[in-house]
Amino acid sequence: MFNEDNLVQQLKTKETQAKAFEVLINTYKERLYWHVRRIVLNHNDADDVLQNTFIKIYRNIDKFKGDSKLYSWMYRIATNESLTFLKVKSKKLGINSEELQIKIAHNLQADIYFEGDEIQLKLQKAIATLPEKQKLVFNMKYFNEMKYEEISEVLETSVGALKASYHIAAKKIETYLKTN
Amino acid sequence: MKKTSKHKDFKVPKDYFNSFTSKLFNKIAEEETISIPKNNSFKTPEDYFTNLDSSILKKIADVEKTKVIPLKSYKKYYYAAIGIAACVLLLVKFNLNKSTTITFDAVTNSEIETYFDINDVGLTSYEIAEVIPVHELDMNDILSKNLKEENILDYLDNNMEDYEELNLQYNEY
Repeated sequence: MFNEDNLVQQLKTKETQAKAFEVLINTYKERLYWHVRRIVLNHNDADDVLQNTFIKIYRNIDKFKGDSKLYSWMYRIATNESLTFLKVKSKKLGINSEELQIKIAHNLQADIYFEGDEIQLKLQKAIATLPEKQKLVFNMKYFNEMKYEEISEVLETSVGALKASYHIAAKKIETYLKTN
Repeated sequence: MKKTSKHKDFKVPKDYFNSFTSKLFNKIAEEETISIPKNNSFKTPEDYFTNLDSSILKKIADVEKTKVIPLKSYKKYYYAAIGIAACVLLLVKFNLNKSTTITFDAVTNSEIETYFDINDVGLTSYEIAEVIPVHELDMNDILSKNLKEENILDYLDNNMEDYEELNLQYNEY
C-alpha cells in the first residue's frame, strides 16, 4: 500500500515523475478500465478512453490541488472522458448518447469480448435504458462495489441522493428483467 | 378455533397449516431478492493488463514527441488584432465621452427661435413677463422691424379720435 500524498509529490517532481507514473498506472489501471468499460461497453473503445484518461492525468497532475483524493480525481477524469467519448461517437452517427448506448447494448451479442448469457445480455440492455446518473451509480455500486462515500466524491453528489438513485435504478432493472 | 366438519371429504398433508406461514415468508423473501446477475461477462484480450502500462507510457511519449509546433505562429497576429481592436474601442469611447461645452452665445437666434417653435415651453404670459425685464426693454427690442417715429404719429393721427384731447405739444410727441 502506498502513500497517496507521497505519490502525488513524486508525480509533481520532474526527477521522480516517470517512476511514480508507472506506479500510478499499475495501481489504478484495472479499476479505471472496468469503470470505463461499464460505461462504453466495448473493449476497444474502453482501451482508447483509458489511454486518453492516463494522458490527461499525466498532463494535469500539476493542477491537482489535493482538494479531493487522487483516485476520485482520476475517476472523475475517466468518467468525463467516457461520457465525452460517447457524445462524440453518437454525434458522428447522428443519434443521441442514450440511443447509442442502447444500440451498443443490443449489439453486445456480436462482441467477441462479451461472454454473457441471455440474462446478462438482458441486464446490459436494462442498464442502457437508465438515465446517465443512475447508470453510473448502479455500475459503480453494483459491479465495481464502491462505497457510497467514494462514489459521492467522484460524482460530487450527496450520499443520500446516490442511495435514492441506486434504489430507483435497481427497481427499474428488476422491472425490466421481469417484463422483457 | 373449532374445526368445521364441512371439508371432511378432503385431506391436507400432515403439519401443512403449521408450516404454511414459514413457507410463505420464505417465498416472499425469494421474490424480493434482487435477481440481477453479478458476474462479469465482459472480457479483455489476453495479457491486456500486462501490456497496458507500456502501451500507455509509449502513447504518452509519442504524444509528447509529436507536439505540433506550427511553422508560422499565428499567436502574434491574434495579439496584434486584439491590440488594434482595443485601441479602436478606446478611441471611440473617448470620442463619445468628450463633452463640448456649449455657451449661450454660440447658439444662434434662429436656433433658439426654432427651439421655441418646435417645443412647447408651457409658460404663461405672466411667467414670461416675470423673467423678461420689461422696463429695460425698448419697443424695438421686441419688434422685428424698427418703426420710425413719424410712422407712429401717422398711425395715431389716423386711428385715434381722442388724440387731440391729449393736448400734447409737438415736442412731446
